[in-house]
Amino acid sequence: MFPVRDDEPEYAKLKDPESQEYNRYGNPIQLDRHSDGTVSLRINGDDSIGPNPNRNKQHAFHFTADNCIGCHACEAACSEKNDLPPHLSFRSVGYVEGGTFPDYTRMNISMACNHCDDPVCLKGCPTRAYTKHPEYGAVIQDPDICFGCGYCTWVCPYNAPQLDPINGQVEKCNMCVDRLEVGLKPACVAACVGNALDFGVVENMPENRDQIETQIPGFPDPQISKPNIRFQQVKTMPREVTRTDSMPVKYHQDTASGVYKPSVDQKEGKEKFWNLPRLSSRENPLVFFTLATQAAIGAFMIAYLGGLLGLESINVVTGSIAYAPLLLLVLALIGAGLFLSTTHLGKPIRFYRGFNNLRHSPVSREGLGVVIFQACVGLHLLCMLPANGLFQTILPAELAVQLVSITQAPAAVFGGLAVPAGLIALYYMYRCYCIKARPFWNHWHAAATFYGNMLSLGGLIVGLAGIPVFLVGGIDYSGLIMVLASVVVTGLLLEAVGLFFHAKAMRAAEHEGAVSHYIQRTTFGKTYYARNVLLVLNIVTAIILGVTGITGIWALTLLGGLALFVLCAAVVGRALFYVLVIPTTMPGAFFWKNKAFEQHARDIGLAANPQVGVAMDHH
Amino acid sequence: MLFGRRKKNPIKIADKGVVEWKYTTCGYCSVGCSVEVGLNDQGKPVTTRGVGGADVNRGKLCIKGLTEAQVFQASGRGSDPLIRDKTFQDWQTTSWDTALDRVAEEFKRIQQQYGRDSLGIISTGQIMTEEFYTLGKLVRGVIGTNNYDGNTTLCMASAVAGYKRSFGSDGPPGCYDDFEHTECLLAFGSNLPEQHPIIYWRLKEALEKRKFPVIVVDPRVTMFAQFADIHLPITPGTDLVLLNSLAHVIFAEGLEDKEYIKQNCNGYEEFAELVKDYDPVSAAKICGIDEDTIRNVARLYAKAGSAMAIWTMGINQSTHGTDGVCGINNLNLITGNIGIPGGTSLSITGQCNAMGTREWSSCSGLPGYRALENPKHREEVGRFWGVDPEFFPEKRGLFQTDIFPAIETGQIKALWIVATNPMTSMPNSPRIRKTLEKLEFCVVQDTYKDVETTQYAHVYLPGAVWAEKEGCFTNTERRVNITRPVVAPFENSKPDHWIFSQLAKRWEQGRKIKFPDTTSEIFEEMKQLSKGDDRMLDISGMSHDLIEEKRGIQWPMREDDSGGTPRLYSDGKFQFADGKAKLLAMPYIENNERPDEDFPFWLNSGRVVEHFHTRTKTGKVGNCNKFSPTPYMEMNPDAAEELGVSHMNYVRLVSRRGDAVVMVQLTQRVPYNMVFIPFHFHDCVNRLSLGLLDPYSRQPAFKQCAVRIEDVDQTEAARLNVEMRTF
Repeated sequence: MFPVRDDEPEYAKLKDPESQEYNRYGNPIQLDRHSDGTVSLRINGDDSIGPNPNRNKQHAFHFTADNCIGCHACEAACSEKNDLPPHLSFRSVGYVEGGTFPDYTRMNISMACNHCDDPVCLKGCPTRAYTKHPEYGAVIQDPDICFGCGYCTWVCPYNAPQLDPINGQVEKCNMCVDRLEVGLKPACVAACVGNALDFGVVENMPENRDQIETQIPGFPDPQISKPNIRFQQVKTMPREVTRTDSMPVKYHQDTASGVYKPSVDQKEGKEKFWNLPRLSSRENPLVFFTLATQAAIGAFMIAYLGGLLGLESINVVTGSIAYAPLLLLVLALIGAGLFLSTTHLGKPIRFYRGFNNLRHSPVSREGLGVVIFQACVGLHLLCMLPANGLFQTILPAELAVQLVSITQAPAAVFGGLAVPAGLIALYYMYRCYCIKARPFWNHWHAAATFYGNMLSLGGLIVGLAGIPVFLVGGIDYSGLIMVLASVVVTGLLLEAVGLFFHAKAMRAAEHEGAVSHYIQRTTFGKTYYARNVLLVLNIVTAIILGVTGITGIWALTLLGGLALFVLCAAVVGRALFYVLVIPTTMPGAFFWKNKAFEQHARDIGLAANPQVGVAMDHH
Repeated sequence: MLFGRRKKNPIKIADKGVVEWKYTTCGYCSVGCSVEVGLNDQGKPVTTRGVGGADVNRGKLCIKGLTEAQVFQASGRGSDPLIRDKTFQDWQTTSWDTALDRVAEEFKRIQQQYGRDSLGIISTGQIMTEEFYTLGKLVRGVIGTNNYDGNTTLCMASAVAGYKRSFGSDGPPGCYDDFEHTECLLAFGSNLPEQHPIIYWRLKEALEKRKFPVIVVDPRVTMFAQFADIHLPITPGTDLVLLNSLAHVIFAEGLEDKEYIKQNCNGYEEFAELVKDYDPVSAAKICGIDEDTIRNVARLYAKAGSAMAIWTMGINQSTHGTDGVCGINNLNLITGNIGIPGGTSLSITGQCNAMGTREWSSCSGLPGYRALENPKHREEVGRFWGVDPEFFPEKRGLFQTDIFPAIETGQIKALWIVATNPMTSMPNSPRIRKTLEKLEFCVVQDTYKDVETTQYAHVYLPGAVWAEKEGCFTNTERRVNITRPVVAPFENSKPDHWIFSQLAKRWEQGRKIKFPDTTSEIFEEMKQLSKGDDRMLDISGMSHDLIEEKRGIQWPMREDDSGGTPRLYSDGKFQFADGKAKLLAMPYIENNERPDEDFPFWLNSGRVVEHFHTRTKTGKVGNCNKFSPTPYMEMNPDAAEELGVSHMNYVRLVSRRGDAVVMVQLTQRVPYNMVFIPFHFHDCVNRLSLGLLDPYSRQPAFKQCAVRIEDVDQTEAARLNVEMRTF
């Protein structure tokens, strides 16, 4: 048990003589309906149970934004308690400011984990490292289970989970449950010298306070995760407040509702740039993984379904010896994609934990879908081998015939299973990016792009494997080109339509997506427009190929060019997808939690000094 | 479980394995928080916490106190004495005997060759009171130079001089408990949330119980200014005009406490005559606060049942610093707000033991607020120490800020610097650099060997830090509190009092005088010297153990007293011969460097909460330093737009003294014609500052000078930035 001092000050003690039955989201505050309330949290292996009478009630932070002086005592107390190195912090203070001297207002915001009713981190985590405990409603993450994928840091709207690039794992606020067990408020709350932070059973009004609101300027929409934090903010704020960090977001008050909504702060001006080197990010492995997976699933789907649909030209390919190398290529792409996405993990050796959370996590489902697809394609390949011409030349003819007759049915079964597996894998790949805290991603264009790339890249891969068959056999391949061109056009159109509506939606949006789109049109403006032009050119080229049915060196050149440009557009597009996303994170300060300063410190070498609190990038 | 695993692993929460807590007083600022240092089973200090039952901080600590356990093992600590003949040579590690012999030989040689006062000694506000007392005994009783001062000249000298001019003695009359009683608080140039967060918390606690008006005078919209009921964004350096004008309104409207003035004050006529010239209409033009607001504040303050004024460097670091302090004292005297609960003039002090050096170090006189100018005091102390009173000078010598010019002009040839860093802290550092180069011999005694001033030292003496030693600090509200030794001094470093007494043995006179071995013995000696004559600074009722038991005691506590004294002058008896305080008539004289066409911006400087002084400690504590790892400048966005300066870019600032490169933070917190730079960074704001001196306190006006802003190559600036932040 956490030792309580004899002279423990009163302000450090929890005081909740009474509490409500339900919170404002309609959830019960008493949490032990699924247990008898006598379960030990086994903190550091200690089996005892604390004497706190409210230990099975949902607790919450209360933050009086009017009072925060930005003194960092909460952050320091937290780091001391949790023994954190300078580059990590479970609690951070940032600020928004507005007005003109001397009518100037700065509002500091101290934010840690909000131990949400709907913990999106827990649901997103593929390893089930998170638990929402019926004790205090604490959402606690176990770094020993975590494999460092960082998905929780994507889905959390408040930047609560901290991905430590040095240890390769996530850690976060544990609500100081050891202190709660003995009736003490968390370390940050006890340390607050502005009387801004408080803590207790949720929906209880702290002493001397008048408000338990769920919104203040700069705080994301509480509907995303139903956070257990309540605010008081009664002092008048300027109509518009800005952030000092590099995020081009400001918050504008909606006249009708009084709520502050994010809007674009044109910190980067209006000029358009290429910024091609900045397309490369720590998400590069994911650029490859998603594209390779989509291409592989597409290639298999076109080849297999084309055959089933009785398309002559496809049948030529699948009936030829080239079918095995095509399937091998599909397997290789999936394998390489999975391998790279594994290296993207903080702890790659724990990759197998990725399927732990099929119940909630799209990441687990995506992973499982891809692995099942890969297994089915592998088994399909194995079963198809006896029918392969090359294979038949090395086997006695009778045995070959016998083998074919045995393997025909399973080949069809595995092939048939691979199709839904691939489609489902891509669906969950799309679901992975349906993140409310990342509005730029959270749009159907992601599905359109993923399935679109499946068709466009898949079609080109089938062409790559198929056309040599026709060339060697001296057969007319205009049919194949027409089939594939129409598939590619469909894919590209799907992507283009998705992107069009996405851009339209982002332009009109009142969230961070609008800000991402602003960056897309300025910092990466030239790159963005070049990609769009390329997309249109590719569509035109593919239509020409599909409609004219031309063959020969011109057709092959055109096809080769198309393949190259489709790949270029896809890679640039996917890289933009990752670098542009702006999460709904809390405002930072001038140095701390300022992305641009962190980058600057790394660029100039300041980060080499650990006291600067910026971890060098390990990717 | 609600969600997640059915079978859970135990929850892991960091446990630093504290097995014992030891009592100390925080070694950073002078709020004087009681801190317990947690030791693990290897006896290593691993964390700190505020002492719950201590009246000052009641369990709270600020960011610096919370991370203070990290200072013991911070990089750059001095492990052994270092020595060299010339400052361009490499350091040689040496023994304490060799180092101290060399120091004594050189001091003696230089004093013989150039005269007794050719040795300058600059002390600090960072070491224990007992150590100050020992140093004072060594300097006044053995070495005998009169050019001995503390770095408190850079922070509290104006408060000291102001208290002396108004009340006849130093000693802040109020206490933190006054927040619980006051009906109006007026803060001048004091940003409590940033500088003294725990005092701010005490104020906030009082305000939550009982709302009373808070008025903040500050040229910047600090958090405190923002939270104030009334914010007066004053023109830098013109506080005296505002104060005289407030008095003008009070007299004009008959709001003064006539009875109190009559009973307890001298100088009323001259004062009333002078402030006639400071009507709000005229004053508004100078100080930038409109006439209505001046009247409003004057009425509010005068009509409050009790009202208190606090101030920090916004007043002290000004050419009118002492006048500003006296102006505040005037205001409180004419409204009868001295020595009553909630009515006081309370200077909010900077260093952990700035008060200790004022009381006991003999810098400006002799121990226990005694004066060199007073023959009786010389006699008393001489007899007590066993020193011929004739050995003492009859007048105090040079202030810190005059010692450097005396080096410049060749009067001072050797310098001993104890736990302070003038290379970073003194204004106009280009001049200080040239000055230090001229020294024949320089000793730096400091906890950190990388303190910038060691560049010009011939001997470096590694001092133990904070809770590696035992002794007392006195805080802002005169509370004497104790630090117990928590760990042994780092490697071969030594407590400062050991260094002083060992050095004393190198003089014949030093061998005759008694230098006790332990700080508790020294404290007992100080108690003897504090007794009698109705002395205000009387600590004879205290002892080290009693201080710890009470979590600090406010002096005076005389023998047989049951406790300390929260307020001074409650009886209306002041320290002048006739027992009356002085109302001072002080005309405002415009003498600052002000912005002009060539240098169009005011340069203001100040503290940030995560750093202490010249960053020798906090720069190495990552969880402090990360909040401002490089110097920056607050600048108004409208001014920046005109100059084409953008957020997070570097600029070069140029003043008539030199230049500095800083990163720009655009914010409407500062006015159009002002920039603000934290003073903590080496080779930064003080390359620009002028630091004209206050005529009484000799404190520099750090906060009033003019600069212009120029472009700088961003890559070059970034490179410089990294080079200057390497530990």
